[in-house]
Amino acid sequence: MKFVTRKHLPRRTVLRGLGASVALPFLDAMTPALSAQAAAPVRMIFVYVPNGVIMRHWTPKQQGAGFDLPRILEPLKPFQQDLFVLTGLAHRTGEGPAGDHARAGGTYLTGVCPKRTTSADVEVGISVDQVAVQALGNRTRLPSLELGCEATRMVGSCDAGYSCAYVNSMSWRSATSPNPPETNPRSVFERLYGSLDPDPDPAVQARLDANRKSVLDFIQDRTAELTRSLGASDKRKLDEYLTAIRDIEKRLGKAESRAAAPSMEKPGGVPFAFVEHVRLMNDLLLLALEADLTRVATVMYAKEGSTRSYPELGFSDPHHPLTHHRNNEEWIEKVTQINRHHASQFAYLIGRMKSIREGDHTLLDRSMVVYGSSISDGNVHTHHDLPVVMLGRGDGSLKPGRHLAFGEKPMANLYLTMLDRMSVPVEKLGDSNGKLEHLSGL
Amino acid sequence: MVTLLGALAFLAQQPPFLTKHCTGCHAASQAAGGLNLDALNVPGEANQEQWTRIRRRVEAGEMPPKGRPRPASAEAAVFTAWIDKELGRFHRAPVTARRLNRVEYNNTVRDLLGVDLALADDFPQDDSAFGFDNIAEALTVSPLLLEKKLAAAERIARHALFGPDGKTQTVRFEVPVPRRMEATNPVKLTAPAYYSMADYDVTGLSQPGAFHLTHRFPADGEYVFRVIGAGNRPAASEPGEITFWIDGRQVQRFPVNEVVLSGFERRPDAWEIRAALTAGRHEITAAFPRQFEGLPPRFKGPNPSKLPQPPLPDPEKTFAGFGGIPVLPPDAPPGKVEERRLAIAKARDQLANPRWEGLAVTEVEITGPIRPRKGPSAESARLIPGCGQSGGRQSVDCARRTLSLLAGRAYRRPVTAAELDKLVSLFEGTAARGGSFEEGLTVALQGILVSPDFLFRVDNASRYALASRLSYFLWSTMPDDALMSKAGDDSLGRPAVLAGEARRLLADAKSQSFVENFVGQWLEIRRLESVQPDRDKFPDFDDYLRRSMAKETELFFTHVVKEDRSILDLIDGEYTFLNERLARHYGIPGVTGTEFRKVDLKGSRRGGILTHASVLTASSYATRTSPVLRGKWILENLLNAPPPPPPPNVPALDESGVGESLSLRAQLEQHRRNTVCASCHARMDPLGFSLENYDAVGSFRTHEGKVAIDPSGALPDGTQIASPDALKRVLRQNRAAFAACLTEKLLTYALGRGPERGDEETVKQIVRAAESSNYRFSDLIAAIVTSKPFLKRGER
Repeated sequence: MKFVTRKHLPRRTVLRGLGASVALPFLDAMTPALSAQAAAPVRMIFVYVPNGVIMRHWTPKQQGAGFDLPRILEPLKPFQQDLFVLTGLAHRTGEGPAGDHARAGGTYLTGVCPKRTTSADVEVGISVDQVAVQALGNRTRLPSLELGCEATRMVGSCDAGYSCAYVNSMSWRSATSPNPPETNPRSVFERLYGSLDPDPDPAVQARLDANRKSVLDFIQDRTAELTRSLGASDKRKLDEYLTAIRDIEKRLGKAESRAAAPSMEKPGGVPFAFVEHVRLMNDLLLLALEADLTRVATVMYAKEGSTRSYPELGFSDPHHPLTHHRNNEEWIEKVTQINRHHASQFAYLIGRMKSIREGDHTLLDRSMVVYGSSISDGNVHTHHDLPVVMLGRGDGSLKPGRHLAFGEKPMANLYLTMLDRMSVPVEKLGDSNGKLEHLSGL
Repeated sequence: MVTLLGALAFLAQQPPFLTKHCTGCHAASQAAGGLNLDALNVPGEANQEQWTRIRRRVEAGEMPPKGRPRPASAEAAVFTAWIDKELGRFHRAPVTARRLNRVEYNNTVRDLLGVDLALADDFPQDDSAFGFDNIAEALTVSPLLLEKKLAAAERIARHALFGPDGKTQTVRFEVPVPRRMEATNPVKLTAPAYYSMADYDVTGLSQPGAFHLTHRFPADGEYVFRVIGAGNRPAASEPGEITFWIDGRQVQRFPVNEVVLSGFERRPDAWEIRAALTAGRHEITAAFPRQFEGLPPRFKGPNPSKLPQPPLPDPEKTFAGFGGIPVLPPDAPPGKVEERRLAIAKARDQLANPRWEGLAVTEVEITGPIRPRKGPSAESARLIPGCGQSGGRQSVDCARRTLSLLAGRAYRRPVTAAELDKLVSLFEGTAARGGSFEEGLTVALQGILVSPDFLFRVDNASRYALASRLSYFLWSTMPDDALMSKAGDDSLGRPAVLAGEARRLLADAKSQSFVENFVGQWLEIRRLESVQPDRDKFPDFDDYLRRSMAKETELFFTHVVKEDRSILDLIDGEYTFLNERLARHYGIPGVTGTEFRKVDLKGSRRGGILTHASVLTASSYATRTSPVLRGKWILENLLNAPPPPPPPNVPALDESGVGESLSLRAQLEQHRRNTVCASCHARMDPLGFSLENYDAVGSFRTHEGKVAIDPSGALPDGTQIASPDALKRVLRQNRAAFAACLTEKLLTYALGRGPERGDEETVKQIVRAAESSNYRFSDLIAAIVTSKPFLKRGER
């Protein structure tokens, strides 16, 4: 068992200066050099906070432009002109008997009610980010990035007979395959920039690349062969493996950009303090977006049902029990502070995105960043009137700076609109019943 | 369509028992407990879990709940037999391809190649099902996992054939919030009782401020340790000391002369030592011994300092320019002059009564290896014998021999000639591109390490699969040569041989993995890694205590395994394993040092796993205990009778606002008035309340705040339990249920699948077989590995 608090590799052992040879990912080492990108691409990012928020400190009183941001959203004030507050969105499929937190996690990006099981036969739906990934193909080195800021290892069933998979992961590459988030900043860094050093001699490096390719071919053949000899249940397991091999082979065939030298040093392990952890994850996400290593990302500041406590706020009550405040004002105040604390971390990400120029625009302009929770009132577990903000202008057609209140609409309608802005026309996702109107103007 | 037909069939056949006793609550309109019988098909593959739960609760007499008419026992028996019959109609095709999980991968690579880098620690977390992370169905493969495995295979293969890459790296470990003793003058220690100056750990190893780390060193070689500390010795103290330990042996000591080690303006002090270490895990410790000695007499510590107290510094000079003593012009108004006078008095007072902060390690940096030993380790060389290749055809033959040996061991079965050909062509392909002999072998070995034959073990009816099943069960790693040869000559299938091998494996040091993985998950000890007890309420909780807690439970279980004790020792064995840190936590005198040793608990307030701080902490909230969580823990993990999730439309019992156990008790009593809630809470709460004398980090207490702890309660059948001992007596009376629970968990872990139809009968047989020896551990294991599901895993 390891109880190491923090590992840290100092800059000097990793970075050999900008533009110099840096550690390259396994895959990257095998791919041809940079192919120039034309127009700045559109990005899709989802940032999740669990356990609902105190809605009266979230929802602006006025609608349209020129609204006042309530306490929780105040940290986003500098970006009010880049921001939509979207009121009235719902995940009705998340409603039901006990198990609201697991269902909230499962429905959030899928619009599908997860299957109640503690066994391995988890099932929900493909999530919006992965719909985008599949449609866009592997245009970037990493199809998508899944990040988490809560590193606890979940043991056993998570919520009233629902599998932990629904709260561990919000990204699902198929109805039955979750994409669990990476919580260790060092591992994220290595995904972006690799854990193997390239050989300084290009001829040797080319041979190493060919060796790797031969290994992939070898296991692809062998896996296909083995699959044929097995029964149906086992086939399914080996098919997963085969799919993973093909996925990697496919990426090898693409012209991908070699990762530029990172502008941050390789992080140590998981930081002790929440704020530091989120900051690192935000920075890594920014690195990946800026270098166009990925265009689709999901970030969980904490897992649904999280009992993390935030001693930096001056109290140590765990989050989830607090949200069952039974209208106790003192507890409501504490939850509000946690909600605002999360929003402050998010504001840092947005601020940095706004500061990164891409031609005439900023990185934020060319993005759609959704921030919110799959529960609105954590006290009684409501799945409608969800707290949702979206920042950025997507492909340029979105007109933010407004609070739009809808008569109730499925949250998945927003996702259809976002996919549309990424030129991924999709008819339906989960319980969607159309696109969300008015985002591009009245 | 299938669903509709199923539902119709169900209507036609469903026994009157359901409408008479169940659908009053468990139907569409109400669906109490989330169970809607209207929507539930006849028992079958898709819903077997639900029906098994229904069956268990009816059989246990928990349903219908108290206050409803009881069914006659014959009536209940007919009903459960009907469920059995219906469930018997299908047979689920089991998943037999089991991917190695992270621990198994690390261990197998270690035993296959002598490479102990634990690279799987960076793989994505394995999902778990049925409480364990080695379940075939739940172990999936994502592209990310494969990407990491490809990179890991390359590093491992190089490491095995060329030795460590030899790069010097610096790793830094930072103590996020160092804990240390603090005192003000006049002496008032702001610290828990064990800091008592009259009786404290003079080695400093179990004191706050010490540093403990288990680190995996990548290669044999020399390493430089830089230890950085903070804190101070009060002025006029005699020099203190810092000691540095490796694997429990003191290797270096330095005097700590500086009065102040760090401050806002100061660079912290650091000590450096060099030591040669072998690759693998080592325990690194740094501590400040005898912190209470040599202090100025006013601290009233042992062996006070004989140094003269220096005269007080001039506060005006010391604080000039900061600290609030303003420099005034001659014509300053009287108000300002008075302000200055007060500030000087305050500063003087501060200087006369300095705050003392104990010494603490804040950071340790490890740099190395320096001048590492080149080439593969002795263990790697032993496992991968050379064969004197000399180019040309001979090289290929040599590679073929080496690969045949490695692949056979990696795949845990003989390899076919066709398989070998493909590996050899990986070798040849590399050679054709100009790679060396070793590079060719490296590439072929990479191929082996990402081959599905290595990463998965197809847990079918073959005799080699049986050998692997046994070794992954008890070792979490590949079979050794002895076990493989018993599979090879087909003697392993004989129950006596199999049971004998199981006992041999358990006696081997590698069974430590079984203890860590099985017990860590069964008793939820792994949860300890992520618990964060509230700092203000539990100021003496630190990482060292956390690790010591986990270690106690592991050692205790290891003792039961190694000494082949009865599993009932787990309930009430009157011994345990403690180091000084944990002994002080428990208030047990006479245990000194970092080493764990067996401690007799007769006459103490401890005994059995329920009184282990690990279990008590893992089943508590960060700020306080929860009788509900602890009761649920006991039902789930010791009696295999998990309470169902709370029903909908009932306000969740919210304990988190409760400040003292009195009102918590009252609130729970109110909660139990609701009959639906009562059916579970009447079982959970009294079990949990009986452990209330242990707080949320497992310390003993008689009061919470000003309220005396009341551990009393009564089980639904009227049995009074008012103490941990009474609880243990109840569990001992229910020893068959406990044995069945442990057996089912062991079976799940061993087979890598959830409970299936027929298992209940197997469990009964195993428990019966072990009863005659009073549930001796090895008898239980022998009965499990010779049971039908274990022998016939993978057969339809």
